[in-house]
Amino acid sequence: MASDRVFGVVVTMVALAYIASATQIQASFLADPVGPKAFPILIGAVAAISGIIVALRPDEDPKWPELRTFGALIIAIVVLVGYAYALKPMGFLIPTAITATILSWQINPRTGPAIVAGLGLSLGLFFVFKYALGLGLVALPAVLHG
Amino acid sequence: MTKRLFKALLTSAVLGLGATAANAAECIAPANPGGGWDFTCRQIGKIMYDIGAVEQPVQVTNMAGAGGGLAYAHVVNERSDDADLMIAASSATTTRLAQNAFAGMTADQVRFVGAIGADPGVIVVAADSEYQTLGDLVDAIKASPGELAFAGGSAVGGFDHLKPLMVLQRAGVSDLTAVKYIGVDGGADAITQTVGGFTAAMSGDMSEVVGFLKSGDVRVLAVLTEERVPGFDDIPTAQEQGFDVVAVNWRGLYIPKDVSDDTFNMWAERLQMVADSDEWQEAMAANGLAPFTKVGGDFQSYVDEVVAEIRTMSQEIGVIQ
Amino acid sequence: MDLFANLATGFSIALSPYTLMLAVFGCFIGTIIGALPGLGPSNGVAILIPLTFSMGLDATSALVLMTAVYYGAMYGGRISSILLNIPGDEPALMTTLDGYPMAKQGRAGDALVISGVASFTGAFLSTIGLMLLAPLLARVAFQFGPAEYFALYLLAFATLGGIASNNQAKAAIASCIGLGIAMIGVDNNSGIPRLTGGNMHLFDGIDFLVAIVGLFAIAEVFFFIESHGKNTSIGVKLDKVTIPVREIWSTRWTQLRASLIGFAAGILPGAGASLGSFLAYMGEKSIAGEEGKFGTGVAKGVAAPEAGNNAAAGGALVPMLTLGVPGSGTTAVLLALLMTLNITPGPTLFTERPEVVWGLIASLLIANFVLLLMNVPMVKIFVKILSVPPWVLLPGVTMISFVGIYSLSGSYFDLLLMVAFGVLGWVLRKLDVPTVPIILGILLGGHMEDSLRRAMVLSGGDWTYLFSSGVAIGLWVVAIAGFVAPMFLRNVLTKPQRVTD
Repeated sequence: MASDRVFGVVVTMVALAYIASATQIQASFLADPVGPKAFPILIGAVAAISGIIVALRPDEDPKWPELRTFGALIIAIVVLVGYAYALKPMGFLIPTAITATILSWQINPRTGPAIVAGLGLSLGLFFVFKYALGLGLVALPAVLHG
Repeated sequence: MTKRLFKALLTSAVLGLGATAANAAECIAPANPGGGWDFTCRQIGKIMYDIGAVEQPVQVTNMAGAGGGLAYAHVVNERSDDADLMIAASSATTTRLAQNAFAGMTADQVRFVGAIGADPGVIVVAADSEYQTLGDLVDAIKASPGELAFAGGSAVGGFDHLKPLMVLQRAGVSDLTAVKYIGVDGGADAITQTVGGFTAAMSGDMSEVVGFLKSGDVRVLAVLTEERVPGFDDIPTAQEQGFDVVAVNWRGLYIPKDVSDDTFNMWAERLQMVADSDEWQEAMAANGLAPFTKVGGDFQSYVDEVVAEIRTMSQEIGVIQ
Repeated sequence: MDLFANLATGFSIALSPYTLMLAVFGCFIGTIIGALPGLGPSNGVAILIPLTFSMGLDATSALVLMTAVYYGAMYGGRISSILLNIPGDEPALMTTLDGYPMAKQGRAGDALVISGVASFTGAFLSTIGLMLLAPLLARVAFQFGPAEYFALYLLAFATLGGIASNNQAKAAIASCIGLGIAMIGVDNNSGIPRLTGGNMHLFDGIDFLVAIVGLFAIAEVFFFIESHGKNTSIGVKLDKVTIPVREIWSTRWTQLRASLIGFAAGILPGAGASLGSFLAYMGEKSIAGEEGKFGTGVAKGVAAPEAGNNAAAGGALVPMLTLGVPGSGTTAVLLALLMTLNITPGPTLFTERPEVVWGLIASLLIANFVLLLMNVPMVKIFVKILSVPPWVLLPGVTMISFVGIYSLSGSYFDLLLMVAFGVLGWVLRKLDVPTVPIILGILLGGHMEDSLRRAMVLSGGDWTYLFSSGVAIGLWVVAIAGFVAPMFLRNVLTKPQRVTD
């Protein structure tokens, strides 16, 4: 119950913010009867109304994970964000091995197999991408290339 | 500010493209594979190599973004003295330049080498339409400008929109903004809308209507060229019907600005060789292009003229201020 | 006859050694993807699209490859249903009901073969249906102006929200999220950027592939972290595979009826394969009655849902190709593929790009035969692959997703967006908000707004123009009915529970 109420309120707030920013859209000097604002505002309005409905008539609560699992998910997100930033400057192999190891460990917390999975995926996928699919991947950080 | 945006967008786009082999000429198609610019690069590049105008195969790079603006910024800012670089261009390039759609960059920041083929502009109605000539259509619009609508494959203010407006302007219609136009996803869609009766006429390129012409769905009221198009000799030009409008979607190239005149002339020559080749004649025939060869200095002045005309027209209808 | 001439063109394109190789490869990968728990046709195809694109395949080859993966995944879904009692994808859910009991009785091989043949029947018949029906639908093109298209898009959202979800308001929210995202970027009409917050990365809008991979693949990883990969039950052993000819023959009418039902369900925008297999199973169950012993491991109970869901997969291609409106999550992903390849599905596709359409149909037929061969004698190979543990599989999926998106744009910003979509997908699915309407919204939002604005240009701002033709009114009526009716029917017809995909 509570989850849906929160969700509905959040949706409504976001929708209202969306409508507010839609009203700021610069109107074109080349006028068409609808213009660039109307449709976004319409979408925002439908979303806001639906949000209110969900808040007023919530479904049953889903089973949320316990706090520790939430922690694990947040770690996963941080790792993935870090991976996104690292891929370009650090090359493919090192960030991939690290990220894959951490994710693997999070799904099944056994250190040895996780490291093997990480290294294996990093090397294996690199060869598949680079040589089978011909993608222009960089293996290592630019510094190491000399 | 916007210029910085282009630069930044660009840096992300060119990363991963990798270094080009030295000396091999490169042709940038400022769009994804499959479109007209991609065709220009691949065909011209291939023929240049096949006929020996260049020594190594031409490498084609696709750099889509901002309707060609990304590639334009790339050339202007980063490769302005690269003698081995050519970029595919068409009427869309000059239209956008004229309308300031490339973040303030102007047509004189590159050198237009030449065009070696063109897709003639056409004004088309459904086969069962009451309008038999371009004059009929223009008269009907004069009588009630807000009543009839055109459909075309380019966005509002794009080249397909401007074509009928040029005709109407020559005919003395004063309020061009009242003329309705909807831009749909490509010429075929525009024809479907017209045949379905949702719009009165379609404005587009010859290649877009050929299939529908064969199936008998449409009638071409006028072709916007100086002479009738070979193979379609029964279709009158707009000029014959008293409307002095020439509007073709040419296919050509530009190169960076800071190359030497010798380099410019070398590219012009190479392009001329392609234009004269049998391979190019075949490629044109297969893709519905009409001969349209303007190379070198000639072409540069043609581009300047077109840009000026489109700018005036666009200001008049309010696409730009 | 036209049909055969067209088909001949199609085969001449699809039967080249290269495309044939792609089809075989696609079927193989697809079957694996379908069989792996947690990976279904939608996320399987989603992950592969960016890679296909960066491999530089031409339109026809890419299409052949991806549809082979699509059909392969539909076939593969049954393998883990039968052996592990875990549906490889949502439509394969119904197959667990009789497939797993059969496997427990030591007849896993029979179940796999029967369901493989039923999959073939369903997919084959629906491809024929697609061939006959699609060109007819394509003729209505001239009836569709901007007002009609607007109503059609509305219909897609309404029925998708109505049928594919348990809560209309939540489905509407999902559609709005997608539509709202589609508005970001440069406005088609005026060329002015909208809702970008001044962020230059957003000027070209949000790439739908980023959203699809995030919502389908990355979100899946979060689900596995949450469950610590507990979905790894040890399955039933598979000893030898023989072909139970007599039993297959006894299910012939079941297969035929299930194919018809599945095909019809697939055509409905938004219904898709899950409904196809559900209706097919329920229909056969009520025909067989008590003596049918459905649910205890009978051949018909395996044949019906598999014929149904594979037929629905073909049916769902009909509205996607002819009207540009996808009928299911996976066809939405395929629509994304077409748009990436600069092919705009719609009424004109059949006249404008016949080589694409007929090449596709021919390759579907080929893929079907390849899949039948792969899935009956070679089924043991795929069973082996099922033993890949999630702690290797899911990190692998993540890496493939990252590289795929990265190779498209080379931008870390898209990768961040993809992770954000993954988080969004996890939260929304927790809250039972469907994610497919988001994809549909991102894909169709621009078109929907364009058609509204074109309609208003033509009418000079008169809103009644939206209801001015018979076609438009009809579409509005169906749209409203499709959205409202499930509210009342929900008590009568309970939708199969959503499982992994």
